[in-house]
Amino acid sequence: MKRRFEGIIALTALAAIVALAPAPGAAQTSTAKTYTPPRTRDGHPDLQGIWQVLNTASWNLEDHQASLGIPAGQSVVEGGAIPYQPWALAKRKENFDKRAALDPEAKCYLPGVPRITYMPYPFQIVQQADKVSILYEYVNAVRYIYMNGNPHPRGPIEWWMGDSRGRWEGNTLVVDVEHFTGGTWLDRAGNFHSEDLHVVERYTPTGPDHLRYEVTIEDPKVFTRPWKMSMSLYRRQEQTELLEYACHAYLLEQEWDNPASSFFEQRGEK
Amino acid sequence: MSPRRVLAVAALIVVLGAVLAPGPAAAQAFFPRDTPKFPQARTWVAQKAKLPPYSPPRTPDGAPDLQGVWGGPIGGGNDDIEEHEYVDMTTPPQESYISDPPDGKVPYTPWALAKRNEIRAGLARGWPGESGERLYADPTSFCLNAMPRASFGGQEIVQTPGSVLMLSANGYRVVPTDGRPPRNPGTTSWLGSSRGRWEGDTLVVEVTGLNGRAWLDSAGNFYSENTRLVERWTRVDANTIDYEVTIEDPTIYTRPWKMNYPKRRAGTGRGAGGVTAVTILPPANAAKDPYASEFWEVGCHEGNAIGAHSIRRLGFKWYKGVRPPN
Repeated sequence: MKRRFEGIIALTALAAIVALAPAPGAAQTSTAKTYTPPRTRDGHPDLQGIWQVLNTASWNLEDHQASLGIPAGQSVVEGGAIPYQPWALAKRKENFDKRAALDPEAKCYLPGVPRITYMPYPFQIVQQADKVSILYEYVNAVRYIYMNGNPHPRGPIEWWMGDSRGRWEGNTLVVDVEHFTGGTWLDRAGNFHSEDLHVVERYTPTGPDHLRYEVTIEDPKVFTRPWKMSMSLYRRQEQTELLEYACHAYLLEQEWDNPASSFFEQRGEK
Repeated sequence: MSPRRVLAVAALIVVLGAVLAPGPAAAQAFFPRDTPKFPQARTWVAQKAKLPPYSPPRTPDGAPDLQGVWGGPIGGGNDDIEEHEYVDMTTPPQESYISDPPDGKVPYTPWALAKRNEIRAGLARGWPGESGERLYADPTSFCLNAMPRASFGGQEIVQTPGSVLMLSANGYRVVPTDGRPPRNPGTTSWLGSSRGRWEGDTLVVEVTGLNGRAWLDSAGNFYSENTRLVERWTRVDANTIDYEVTIEDPTIYTRPWKMNYPKRRAGTGRGAGGVTAVTILPPANAAKDPYASEFWEVGCHEGNAIGAHSIRRLGFKWYKGVRPPN
């Protein structure tokens, strides 16, 4: 009886721990609630600095095993799999099979949002009263998230990086992005979207050197429902300035003097 | 102007600007043959000498306030930086951008002048002195942001504690002003390593670590990986920055030399010697358009530039920079 009583206590204690400990997915949110970020002069949470991901989403957003030059990785997609419509799942497979020729990143094009966030290059966040600017090391790309009261301009507009409008929700920078081209992908594994893509990003400081990055992806032409991905952004403490990755310069120089190059035709250039 | 019309005009400007003179200029105009010669350094130096003393406002950190959106010179560095007559509809007659030496010519050493002339002879774009051969296309045709031409376009200056940012529609520069040393010499690049400091009311930026693979203009004037730039940014009135850049490279030039032009605040309608780049709208319309002060995507390399394939197929070589003879 005594032993049984001890067992009940142990079970109760375990249940209490389970009940009190946040689920793995909720851990960051819980930390975020307790962390109070410093403020800018304008009174907003200060997200400024140089940031980068530390994951394999750039290769494949979903679970994938390792292959030559590609580290294994776990899905950053909520629920694991991207909810493609049947035709789009077939298209994703075709993209994967022909990725060397079809991936827009292989042509050094602006990679779109959110893909540029989780490419293996650092980026710098700069805040002003009426906008947040993100400077990317990749191709000297720059993105302006306007917070000046203007709504998205009237479309149709097809921009590689979309049109970004931001707002603050507590300590979170929320960015609404639309007006995309259908010409960008979500990763190197052929995950894709159409020009009807609508992205909502959430940047939440969870500590002095971490941001939680959560993205909702909506595209009724391609997916059966809106879906989410999330990951951490890490402050690059040892990298004190952005360098340059002039992708298209390296690519053109490599292909220019190669008479057998099919690169220019693959780009679809006249 | 309706948003749709703004968009149509913007698209047209971007396409024309990119096709006819790819580069950092935000807007490209067409010039008839009887266009009067545009004022550049000579006129600006004379105007500047007559300006009353000006004390710029200060940022909360106490630095001179250079913030705002500023245009660049007419032509945006997409022409010959030396004085020239009318060439074609995209290249109006202009004074030299060069304020020193006084003759307005780049003070090349003899071998470097011969190299510049060789490059120019192979431009195949209707420039005087061309041989008809095709040698190199302006590297900026490939949408690369390079110094010093990155300073020639429209850009917003933002000052933060410890750095000055120069932001444009398709690129950026970050200039640390916290006293850090230049980047390691092994990391040359198109924009190089910029380090800034304040001297009185002037932002002084030293640029080293350039890869020397871009030109100073679209007419073949060049620099090298040994080149050092010193920029001086000084407010001279409420709506004007006096921009001066000194170019030093004993392997190419006989002496340091300077370019000088005014950068005018966007939207002030100041045309002479400096365009209101960035916003393409006249001030009255810009005031009514809530989007006039925003940077919208250029997508240069992705489709607005001349296809690299076309340039390659015409027989132009890839420019890898010029090395001085040993």
